[in-house]
Amino acid sequence: MESNRLFHKFPTPAWINNANVRTGGVYLSGAMFSLGFFLFLDAAVFSHSALNGSTIHITFVDWIPLICSTLGMTVINSIEKSRLNSDSFSYSGNGVAWKARLVLFLGFALIAGGLAGSVCVLVLNYIVEEAQGRTLWMGVANCLGNALVMLSCVVLWVSQNMEDDFQYTLSL
Amino acid sequence: MAAGLKTIIALSFVLAIGFLLVILSAALFHNYLTLLVVATYVIAPLPNFICAKCANPDDFMGDAGYAVVDFGRFVTGFLVVMGIALPVMLAHCALIQVPAMAMSIIGGLLIYGTIISFAQFFKEEQDF
Repeated sequence: MESNRLFHKFPTPAWINNANVRTGGVYLSGAMFSLGFFLFLDAAVFSHSALNGSTIHITFVDWIPLICSTLGMTVINSIEKSRLNSDSFSYSGNGVAWKARLVLFLGFALIAGGLAGSVCVLVLNYIVEEAQGRTLWMGVANCLGNALVMLSCVVLWVSQNMEDDFQYTLSL
Repeated sequence: MAAGLKTIIALSFVLAIGFLLVILSAALFHNYLTLLVVATYVIAPLPNFICAKCANPDDFMGDAGYAVVDFGRFVTGFLVVMGIALPVMLAHCALIQVPAMAMSIIGGLLIYGTIISFAQFFKEEQDF
C-alpha cells in the first residue's frame, strides 16, 4: 500500500482498466498533440501569408512556449513509472525515487512554463498592442495549442498508468 | 481466406479513387501542396508496423516493449490527424482552395482506409 501512495489520490473508475481503452488513450493523446501543434502552425503560416493585414508577425519567441511544452511532455513520459514509488528497487544508489520525482517536477515545470509563457506572449504581443480579430486569434491559438499539448500529456500519462493493472490481471 | 478476389479488387478500386481525388485536387488548381497528404497517409501506418515488430507485447514478463508500442501508436495518431489538419491549415491560409482541401481530405482518408484494410486482411491470413 505504501509503495502506491503517489497514485492513491486519483481513484480511477473500473471501466478504465481495459486494454482497448488504454490503446485508444494513446492514439487520442497523439491526435491531441497533433491538433495542438497544427493549431499553432496554422497561426504561424497565417501570420506570414498575404491574409495577415497587421504588422504583428509570429517570430521565434512565439515558438518558445510550444517547444517548452513539448520538451516537458517528453521528460514526463520518459520516466519509468515504477521508479517513482520504489526506493527498494534502487540499482544505482540510494534515493532513485527522489531523483525521479525531481525530474518529474522539472517536466511539470516545463509544461506549466510553456502554458504560462503562451499566455504571456498573448498579453504582451497581442492584447497590449490591441490586436483585433484574426490577428488576436494568432495569440489565442498559441495558448490553445499549448493547452492541447498539456491535455495530451495528461491523457498519455493516465493511459500508461493503466498498464500496471492490466498486467496484473494478465499475470494472474 | 477472408480476403477474396472481390475484396482485393474493391480495395484497389478504392485506392485508385483515393489517388485520383488527391492528384485531381493538385492538378486542377495547379497547386501541388496537396500531394503532401498522400505522403502523410502512406507514412501513417509505418510506425505501428515497425514498433510492433520491435516489441513483443505478448511477453508480459518483461514490460520493456510497451514503451515502443505506445510510441508507435502516438506517432500514428499524430500522423492521422496531420493528414486532415494539413489541408485544413493550407486552405485556412489561402495557400490552396477549399474544394482542393475537401478532395484531398477525402482522397487521403480513402487511401489510409485501404492500407489499414489490407493490413487487417493479411493479419487474418497469418493467424491460420
